[in-house]
Amino acid sequence: MTGKELLLRALADRGVQTIFGYTGGAIMPVFDQMDKLGHFKFIMSRHEQGAAFMAQGLSRASLSTANPQVGVCMATSGPGAMNLVTGIADAYMDSVPMVAVTGQVATGVIATDAFQESDVIGVMMPICKQTYMPLFVEEIEQTVHEAFYVATTGRGGPVVLDIPKDVQNVQVDKDYHFDTAAFRPALPGFYYHPTPAREPLQKAVELINRSERPVIFCGHGVISSNAGKLLQQFAEKVNIPVAFTLHGLSAMPLDHPLSLGMMGMHGTVEANRAIMEADLLISFGMRFDDRVTGKLSEYAQNADVIHVEIDPSEIGKNVQPTVAINADVYRTLHVLVSDPMLAGKPRRRWRQRIAEAREVMAADLRREIDKGVGDDGALLMKTIIDRLSKLTGGRDLIVSDVGQHQMMAARFYNYQTPNSWFASGGAGTMGCSLPMAIGVKLARPEERVWSINGDGGFQMNMQELGTIMEQGTDLKIMILNNGYLGMVRQWQTLFFDGRYAGTPMQSPDFGQVASAYGIPYRKVTELAEIEPAIQEAIDHPGAIMLEFVCDPSEVILPMIPAGGGFDDMIIKRPKAKKKKD
Amino acid sequence: MKRRAILAFMLDRPGVLQKVSMLIRKKMYNVDTLTVCNSRKKGISRMTITLREDDEEKVQQILSQLEKFTEVVSVKELDTDHSYWREAAIIKVEADDEHLESFRKDYTFEILDHKSNEIHIIQIAGSTRRIDAFVKDLGEEHIIEIARTGVTALEK
Ligand SMILES: Cc1ncc(C[n+]2csc(CCOP(=O)(O)OP(=O)(O)O)c2C)c(N)n1
Repeated sequence: MTGKELLLRALADRGVQTIFGYTGGAIMPVFDQMDKLGHFKFIMSRHEQGAAFMAQGLSRASLSTANPQVGVCMATSGPGAMNLVTGIADAYMDSVPMVAVTGQVATGVIATDAFQESDVIGVMMPICKQTYMPLFVEEIEQTVHEAFYVATTGRGGPVVLDIPKDVQNVQVDKDYHFDTAAFRPALPGFYYHPTPAREPLQKAVELINRSERPVIFCGHGVISSNAGKLLQQFAEKVNIPVAFTLHGLSAMPLDHPLSLGMMGMHGTVEANRAIMEADLLISFGMRFDDRVTGKLSEYAQNADVIHVEIDPSEIGKNVQPTVAINADVYRTLHVLVSDPMLAGKPRRRWRQRIAEAREVMAADLRREIDKGVGDDGALLMKTIIDRLSKLTGGRDLIVSDVGQHQMMAARFYNYQTPNSWFASGGAGTMGCSLPMAIGVKLARPEERVWSINGDGGFQMNMQELGTIMEQGTDLKIMILNNGYLGMVRQWQTLFFDGRYAGTPMQSPDFGQVASAYGIPYRKVTELAEIEPAIQEAIDHPGAIMLEFVCDPSEVILPMIPAGGGFDDMIIKRPKAKKKKD
Repeated sequence: MKRRAILAFMLDRPGVLQKVSMLIRKKMYNVDTLTVCNSRKKGISRMTITLREDDEEKVQQILSQLEKFTEVVSVKELDTDHSYWREAAIIKVEADDEHLESFRKDYTFEILDHKSNEIHIIQIAGSTRRIDAFVKDLGEEHIIEIARTGVTALEK
């Protein structure tokens, strides 16, 4: 057997069915072998970044299914590998398990600046969970198994295998055998604690029982440990409202009476006010990112914090917890829910406070959504998302890009199904949506998938329309076109006196782009057309693109300015507007 | 600021040292010294990191960030009361014999080489504080070149 055969055998042993990638000199042998085998479904992206996001999409969406998969992407050395960087860094920030395989120049010429050589390990090390360069063919299988173990155990993350071309081709003895069943990773330093310790749990229960103004935080860890149902049970049992991080959204139905919606920079007034006034924060699987906390010195000063988190290095990193529970979220919630000491309380005044906060913006938002257009008659993103939510019953899979439309999709889509919201959170990578949606659709083919984009981000990876065309992927593509890099424009409106440097953007005729790829297209400019267009997309049995002409001056509020505290929350759009947009 | 020593045992794999130094850079920890050597066990290296930090929580963060590396087998902090911290220095000095010998009563050092009557290469080992004191007493102006190993530490 050869290195490439061993690599593919190990991938197959790990349950890999699909490989995303792009070929080139240093990975050709593996591709050739893959073709001969015919075992894997190969999906060729139009840019390696696309392959990385497709792999991510597959991992993200299959997490909560009966058949969780680790997305695998493959690229050649040098430029091919470097094009994976953004997708890998993004997976690292969002704790998405993924394995990237890159071809490297032959061992004989490594470190000579050979053609298409780059120091892949050096570049990847700070942006992934682990890197490997097997130098001997006998290491390959062990390495692959270890890589999958590392990628999926504890906090998920990407792992990179950089395999020199000659190692791919080296022949080993015919009867070379790797005992997959007996495989144990040789990582003495890699331990994690899935089970919560008794003592902190007891303290947590005491704090919960005692508290008058508690808030539950639902982070990504709830989704990746599949604990949404348990979280809901827990919240109902103790009668405590739940605020979601961007990635915690869709862990439980967003319209649940205990839901406060999203927290943080663009979170709801009720979530942020509740956090500000809370005496206890019970956080599950989240890392107190600065977009969540705002200014740390002013963050939840009077609250005790219970922090449940699988990664011990996240505990105490940004916020010092009163009680730290280093364990798997699912297991912790499982124990908590059945703890007879845990008690519910009515906390009427607290509920009253939250209800009041909820009303601060509610009327304005309802009015805006119903009006549906801005001053110059162009559509509002929030109305589009609201209609999408209504027409799909909040039951579809939403893959958003990065920008205002992302925050609108986070705030105004009424998530009903577990793990139905996908976005680049930690890294905030524009261009992720289209390729990620391809992976999401592959993971859950029975469900309808919407890729929601801004005009800016869409053009960062719109070449993946080619992949959609080739694969016949059934994706509902939405472009919310406001002619600007909207989110940056919003900051310019609020903090740069309305000087729009580098944000106006000319777009191609998206109708012609769509038709070049054989994808049906509708342009929507009128309020009354929104619903029929969405309905048409729902009814159409394949990829379709909808472009909505949106109001560039729409802002997503509330907003806590970067580095500000909750008291700095902006809830009203500023009057002063420059004449020239 | 309080001086700290962190002792870490790690697998002897290529790139581990890079990972640790990258962590130090990425998290902007202010490290004074970093020394690595073989440990008693084959395949495992021993690393001593010293830094100045008053904030206990920050030190705890460093420990848990280091612990996160799959190659790191164990990490702990060694405090000055319960461990020996030592380093060695090789110093090229420009001084007459008399001046040099006047330190014999306070310091133990070894002369490795007499380059000339005026130039000597000496070796001294001991606690960081002791080496600092020696350098100060000897007088900076007498030192042509100095090489220090950085701290290595062992629990009492
Ligand atoms: C790759 C990348 N480059 C730049 C940014 C900075 N950025 C964040 S949001 C944004 C604007 C996005 O504009 P658009 O895609 O049109 O969406 P909108 O905000 O208008 O909904 C920019 C430039 C980013 N997040 N990612």
